[in-house]
Amino acid sequence: MMLLGGKTAVITGCLQGIGRATMGVFAKNGANIIACSQHETEEFSACVKELSGGQRVEITPIYFDFMDDESIKQAARTIQKLNRKIDILVNIAGITRDALFQMATTEQMKTVFQVNYFSQMLFSQYITKLMLRNGAGSIINISSISAIDGNPGQLVYASSKAAIISATKTMSAELAPRGIRVNAVAPGVIDTAMTAIVPKEAMDRQMHKSNIKRIGKPEEVANVILYLASDLSSFVTGQTIRVDGGIG
Amino acid sequence: MLKGKNVIITGTNRGIGKAMLEEFARNGANIWAHARVETPEFLAVVNALAEKHEVKIWPIFFELTDYEAMKTAVKSIMDSKIPVDALINNAGITYNALFQMSTVEHLRNQLEVNFISVYIFTQYISKLMVRRKKGSIVNIASTAAFDGNSGKSVYGAAKAAVAAMTDSIAAELGESGIRANCIAPGITETDMLASMPEAVVAEAKATADMRRGGKPSEIATTAVFLASDLSSYVTGQTIRVDGGIR
Repeated sequence: MMLLGGKTAVITGCLQGIGRATMGVFAKNGANIIACSQHETEEFSACVKELSGGQRVEITPIYFDFMDDESIKQAARTIQKLNRKIDILVNIAGITRDALFQMATTEQMKTVFQVNYFSQMLFSQYITKLMLRNGAGSIINISSISAIDGNPGQLVYASSKAAIISATKTMSAELAPRGIRVNAVAPGVIDTAMTAIVPKEAMDRQMHKSNIKRIGKPEEVANVILYLASDLSSFVTGQTIRVDGGIG
Repeated sequence: MLKGKNVIITGTNRGIGKAMLEEFARNGANIWAHARVETPEFLAVVNALAEKHEVKIWPIFFELTDYEAMKTAVKSIMDSKIPVDALINNAGITYNALFQMSTVEHLRNQLEVNFISVYIFTQYISKLMVRRKKGSIVNIASTAAFDGNSGKSVYGAAKAAVAAMTDSIAAELGESGIRANCIAPGITETDMLASMPEAVVAEAKATADMRRGGKPSEIATTAVFLASDLSSYVTGQTIRVDGGIR
């Protein structure tokens, strides 16, 4: 069954990992996609082409830099000019700078918060304006279980993702009365480039902590995002759903 | 989304359970539809749904606290040799009374129906799931379990017990391939609402982010999600389906 037939979704962070998987799951479910990525690669373009052909949906790639407000503004304008009815916004683009609390620099904090929080809010402001015209929509933000549980070495990342949980609640309080639901997912340990840098022992420890004793696949997070984007969750808003195989 | 899966749903005679019956059938699941008592109306609904969606629906009947009758129903499921992919523990009864007014009888009755019977039934069914190393258990709790609503000290406690049980099931049976999650509905348009003071319901709707109550079908679709493979890495969670109560 196609859960997003005829809908249009803006997805950030499509180049790899959870963003890429979400693009695939959304295309399979009939959504047209405005696929945001920091830069173009041959592999990405090929993937976009293959997906749009195979699933008979329209995928429009847009490239911009989450470190640069002007670039974000330009992208928003480009999206506006596409003149599409935007139904869904999925904020996936994110970075990490792992460091122990005593070692984390303000530079690292500023960089991570710039991408994970400031830019995401700015971009969401622009896109929300387009969504409000329809009086309906769904926004999905990506947080992390480290925001809720704490995680050694992830002071900066976890803090930025905690800000996202808070933003999700306030955005829901402000936007849900106007027809836009806002929710977050908090992934646990997922098999992506971001976790590829984690030492094997730490990964094994995490895996053992989860009830189902394995790490998650990006598609498994994408499927929960699909649920939140679709009408399956039509009465769910302001929530953060952990996708972690059961930890804590 | 659930084509070829076999699901047990309790309390399908009305309210959220009835909506679940419809949503699960619409999504292609075969269903053991539980109700407390057999009525011609219920059988008519079941037959019509099965025909419309080309699925099998097997009615099963037992009073929630009649453990002998429950055992008989479980045996019929076992004897059918049809694998159980998901269990939705939806059946429950509501109770509204101020803390000072609640009696021991009320406490016992609420915990017996809303918690102990769910516990026992899940023990039976999870045993079948463990054999296949596969299954999803979905329990219906309530936002009252977490929010501390006036008049809900007994009902809320029973539903909090269900949520706590769910977490432990997720921890114990995760390795056996079984996921366990809860749904916490908020204000939902069912007969249960009629038992609550009108002013309380109106206030709750007015302050929810979505400014309305939920439809039974909106709880049912989240149950479909949790029963399906879309939630394959989600376990030990409680999902609030409440339109954003704060």
